[in-house]
Amino acid sequence: MKNLQHKYYESYKDNKLLFPGLDITWLKELREEAIAQFKKDGFPDKSVEEWNNHSYKNLKEKYFTPFSDNKFEINSKLIEKRGSNCVIRVVFYNGTLTNIEYDNLPEGIEVNTLTHFIKHKPSFLKDKISSAYKYAEERLSNIVDSRPQSIVAFNTAFHQEGAVIHIKKNVKVPGFIELLHIGEYSKDTMQHMRSLVYLEEGSECEVLENIINDTANDLVFTSNVTDIYVSKGASLSFNCFIKGGTNNIHINNIHGAVHEDSKFTSTSIMSALGQVRSENRINLLGENASTKIDMLLLGSKDSLLEGLTKVKHSKKNTFSDQKARIILNENSKASFQGKVRVDKGSDGTLANMSSKSLLLSKKARVNSKPELEILADDVRCSHGVTIGNLSLEQMFYLRSRGIPEVEARKLLVSSFGNIIIDDLNKNFIDKAKKIMTDYFND
Amino acid sequence: MSTTLEIKDLYVEVDSKEILKGLSLKIEHGEMAAIMGPNGSGKSTLASVLAGKEGYNIVNGTIKYLGNDLLKMSTEERASSGVFLAFQYPVEIPGVATSTFVRTALNAQRRNRGEDELDAMEFLKLARQKAKELEMSEDFFQRAVNVGFSGGEKKRAEVFQMSMLSPTLAILDETDSGLDIDALKIVAEGVNKLRDNKLSGIVITHYQRLLDYLKPDTIHILADGKIIKTGDKSLALLLEEKGYQGITGAN
Ligand SMILES: Nc1ncnc2c1ncn2[C@@H]1O[C@H](COP(=O)(O)OP(=O)(O)OP(=O)(O)O)[C@@H](O)[C@H]1O
Ligand SMILES: [Mg+2]
Repeated sequence: MKNLQHKYYESYKDNKLLFPGLDITWLKELREEAIAQFKKDGFPDKSVEEWNNHSYKNLKEKYFTPFSDNKFEINSKLIEKRGSNCVIRVVFYNGTLTNIEYDNLPEGIEVNTLTHFIKHKPSFLKDKISSAYKYAEERLSNIVDSRPQSIVAFNTAFHQEGAVIHIKKNVKVPGFIELLHIGEYSKDTMQHMRSLVYLEEGSECEVLENIINDTANDLVFTSNVTDIYVSKGASLSFNCFIKGGTNNIHINNIHGAVHEDSKFTSTSIMSALGQVRSENRINLLGENASTKIDMLLLGSKDSLLEGLTKVKHSKKNTFSDQKARIILNENSKASFQGKVRVDKGSDGTLANMSSKSLLLSKKARVNSKPELEILADDVRCSHGVTIGNLSLEQMFYLRSRGIPEVEARKLLVSSFGNIIIDDLNKNFIDKAKKIMTDYFND
Repeated sequence: MSTTLEIKDLYVEVDSKEILKGLSLKIEHGEMAAIMGPNGSGKSTLASVLAGKEGYNIVNGTIKYLGNDLLKMSTEERASSGVFLAFQYPVEIPGVATSTFVRTALNAQRRNRGEDELDAMEFLKLARQKAKELEMSEDFFQRAVNVGFSGGEKKRAEVFQMSMLSPTLAILDETDSGLDIDALKIVAEGVNKLRDNKLSGIVITHYQRLLDYLKPDTIHILADGKIIKTGDKSLALLLEEKGYQGITGAN
């Protein structure tokens, strides 16, 4: 392991040309601090509580080279047409910008690549692209532990590109913004994307981060880390749909800072065949800030899907709602960790969490763990976890009305997932339903 | 008159416990038969076996439905060929709208019979008509199947499904329990309407009131896993007077 950490350290030094912004002092320092942190901590192992459900063996044993073989002529069949309500779409192929598509972009919306901002507006990024140390976890013991964030440190050091969304004061984005990431990487490579979504006061925006990694059987390692700021009175809906190939390890990481009277909602749908992990850490930093985090995990074959949410209520009268639905078939495995922390003095907090899993095969495994850490007095929290199989009573009821077994199964399974899908903004429902249909047909 | 259903010497076990013990029953075309019997005597078990629920071990006996071996048919085949069970305890299905459910069922049955499927408009028209007949508000079309329905609403929804699917053999398992007096009348009228189309029925009940409306042709008493007495409506009256103890004793 130490050996591998050293190898990545050397790789960072050797591949500097791939990493933009090293001519900017603060960004260079950020990267160097991050690689130093990674060199110290390495990838999290099972001794790190947030990572103790499953081991990412390949991460710990394999060495991945930073992806550098960028092609500029792309005709991947994975790139579908831009949706009709999509005001602007940024398309990345293997981590490189291929296109920014829009018809007429309303005023007050700035969407571009990270490298564009580094080149033309680096001052905008300063203090918004955060160091992994800033996100270090505060343990019950008051000890600050940086290890759960070592993927973020790794991403901070190695990111080559990303997207930046900046919505100006009181601007309400019509339709939605899509960040499409298509990956058809070569064997044993890695690619890391660092994005930023910044909403000024009173603005509103819907984003779809659509990640499709089609790597067939080649082992690749990808990550997307996104820093999110929702200013006073603003509202952001940030949704991630993640699909991945059999040997793709993908880690998605969101850090949201949600201020007074603002709202952050997020739905992640994961239907990958490899190993995918989605972490959402949301800090409710102002009074009346609220967040709703939904996850739908669709596991099949030998996939491993992990969802982690951590909501920190730091001010009075804040609200959070977390909902996970997990459907597993064949040999797939999944975990969900839903955490709520209510800081001292954050009275009037309301926090709900529910996690339900549906196991469709004998070998599927799920681990679901709610965790509440409440340091305030006037707090209402609820949490519920259920794990079950398809109900025989329900199956019989449907079949007794003439619905064939296969169709009855589909109806019950999709109704289970619909609890998440029906709650999506209407722009995303069809896409989400399609993911569900593909899940059945694979 | 041809025979709709003929059960001969049926023995059924659940979890190695013998529940039906030599039950025989014959239902003619268009006949309405009532089955009454003490709690736990096996009425719902019989209903489940007829509808094709798994987990029942048929130890002995035969069931002929319209001349075919019912026990060889899958649950959904039985439904498509006209067997309908109104559940004693209708099942809740969160996330599936009632209209989606009934339409899926109706079209699956039609497909199975080689008929054209109904499109959304045709379906809605039919559903509205049936809901109106049963004096039900259309709100429940969009509600998840039986979720949050009151006891009586669940029973009414069963009858709604029945009239949508217009079966050949309807088994009503205590459909009257939970219904208020007015609802009972409406539901009974709904059932009687289907009888005009030569519906055969098995009505499982504990109460005389439903029978007053449905006027069954025959009344059977099921006790300890078999039919111990068969008669006409006077049997129900006798039962009301003497109770099961009295009747079984008199046997
Ligand atoms: N899965 C099972 N395992 C064991 N016993 C069962 C099972 N299902 C039903 N039974 C038993 O079979 C018997 C008959 O049950 P059934 O539900 O058919 O009665 P019923 O006549 O419909 O009664 P009620 O009038 O109360 O509805 C009961 O004693 C019941 O406890
Ligand atoms: Mg019963």
